[in-house]
Amino acid sequence: MRVAFGGYRAGFWWYMGAGLALLLAFAGIGLFRGAVPLEGSDVLIVLARHLLPGEHGPVDPRVDAIVWALRAPRVVVAAMVGGCLALAGAQMQGLFRNPLASPGIVGTSTGAATGAVFALTFGLAGGFLLAAPLFAVGGALLSLLIVTRIATRDGYTPVTTLLLAGVALNALLAAVNSWLIARSWEQYEAARRIAYWMMGGVTDRGWVHAGMILPGMVIGCAIAVWFARDLDLLLEGEEVAASLGVDIERAKRAVLWSAAILTGSAVAVSGVVGFVGLVVPHLVRLLLGPVHRRLLPAAFLTGAWFVVGADLLARTVAAPQEVFLGVVTAFVGAPFFLFLLVRHEGEVAVSR
Amino acid sequence: MTTAAAVPAAPRLELEGGGVERRGRWLLRGVDLVIEPATLISVVGPNGAGKSTLLRLLSGAWRLTEGRVLLGGFDLAALPRRQAARRVAYVPQTVRPTFEFTVREFVTLGRYPHESRLFGTRSADRGWIDRCLDDTDVLALAERRVTTLSGGELQRVLMARCLATEAEVLLLDEPTSNLDLAHGLDLLGLARNLVDEGRSVVLVLHDLNAAARFADRVAVLDAGALVAEGPPADVLDPDLLRRVFSVRAVPLAGSAAPVFDFEPLP
Repeated sequence: MRVAFGGYRAGFWWYMGAGLALLLAFAGIGLFRGAVPLEGSDVLIVLARHLLPGEHGPVDPRVDAIVWALRAPRVVVAAMVGGCLALAGAQMQGLFRNPLASPGIVGTSTGAATGAVFALTFGLAGGFLLAAPLFAVGGALLSLLIVTRIATRDGYTPVTTLLLAGVALNALLAAVNSWLIARSWEQYEAARRIAYWMMGGVTDRGWVHAGMILPGMVIGCAIAVWFARDLDLLLEGEEVAASLGVDIERAKRAVLWSAAILTGSAVAVSGVVGFVGLVVPHLVRLLLGPVHRRLLPAAFLTGAWFVVGADLLARTVAAPQEVFLGVVTAFVGAPFFLFLLVRHEGEVAVSR
Repeated sequence: MTTAAAVPAAPRLELEGGGVERRGRWLLRGVDLVIEPATLISVVGPNGAGKSTLLRLLSGAWRLTEGRVLLGGFDLAALPRRQAARRVAYVPQTVRPTFEFTVREFVTLGRYPHESRLFGTRSADRGWIDRCLDDTDVLALAERRVTTLSGGELQRVLMARCLATEAEVLLLDEPTSNLDLAHGLDLLGLARNLVDEGRSVVLVLHDLNAAARFADRVAVLDAGALVAEGPPADVLDPDLLRRVFSVRAVPLAGSAAPVFDFEPLP
């Protein structure tokens, strides 16, 4: 693929094909490689047993457990988390007309973290597996509700006010999170779980986690696709969008809720995985241009392979120790973000 | 410049007692204005008189604080935005685009009110886009990024996007401000052609003489109020121009239109 910074645009279908190939390649490595060395043929048999109809050869139940209960859901959850975060990031960058906005810019990812931390500190998660993820999604939606309530006057929600309210809520919730963690310091187990969760990762995620993120992903993606064209017009400013037929308040609300659902669902199962939602959509926009009907699916796919690949790194760079996924994405993402910052000095202004 | 296929006769657009208040200040108040079908009306007035505000109201982009806008007898605010956008198009004053759409993608944004949500633009749309690009003389720029265009090119691209909507009423805010003489005249000629085909055009212009030459009617705004409206010959006279614009207007002989030489007041 040629580098796009000169103004060259990659073909959409070529880009999607390459992305799909990368996703499958990373997923394959994720299934065949791991802490326990396995025979490639055994892995294939396990996959065939679960995915293809009919009888497939005998396999050690321990091998089956490693491949199907540990490695496969981990890869799938990583792909889902990456896709959701990148898609939500692309939506927020479009809505705020700022190529450097992140999925949680209106406070949703910090709100999701607060929800989960709350559930973990008060021991709710011990009794009920779904408590932390549900509280996380609830936290994300509640944050958005608060921010939009604050920013709305007479049925009109200016995005700049929304952004400022989001920044304030982010700071407030981060403080709440710190306080909750400090409170739980004596309960070693709870503190450890929170710390693990905050670092972000898909270690030991099972099919149940894939099931948790799925409804939010489907709903979020459906809304995102339905309002993709509205985002194109909103890039040109609300006045122009309205004059060309966009119901701007409805479009803004739909995009905000869609991104909040996607972000909340992702954070609920993987904790805070940073920079995916910021860097991936920006990169895809540079490659494919700003039309959201292409940008959104491409960002989803790119986020998926990026996180599956990053998780692969997280598992292998310091094997048998695992590095946190959030650490890996930040290690790759932050330098790239700085590079964009230096390169696009004029576009970094928060509002315009 | 020639124009694309004829469009059905424009609906009548009316502003009744229109007023907008923003942060305790009335930007426009008590304005009654009728834009008859197939009329080119030019809105003139000093800076801050409310010209752009008037266009925003007529386009439905801004809500009125008082009064209402009627499109073909129906309240514009009660009409679904998509339906309204098919009838009334609005080109704001030129702003540099920040996102790297190609010219074709940018003009295609104007098809929004006709597009299907799921399937997007169809081949009929694409054919129409080509004609709009051609009519405004920007077909050769179709694959260029809008961020790389000159002010004049951008202005014509905005005009193409406005035509892409197939709207019968076009509201243009200072469309000639970034154009050189020839392109400016071309654009006014294009507006004139559109009107002759049955569309209505509302133009905000700073050049009073251009307004006098090209417009069927002139509306003069001052401090948020409509002070005069009618055919250029009836409206534009030295007394009014002195009051509204604080200039001395000396009529130029030998022209059918009421054109003037302007001098500062002593």
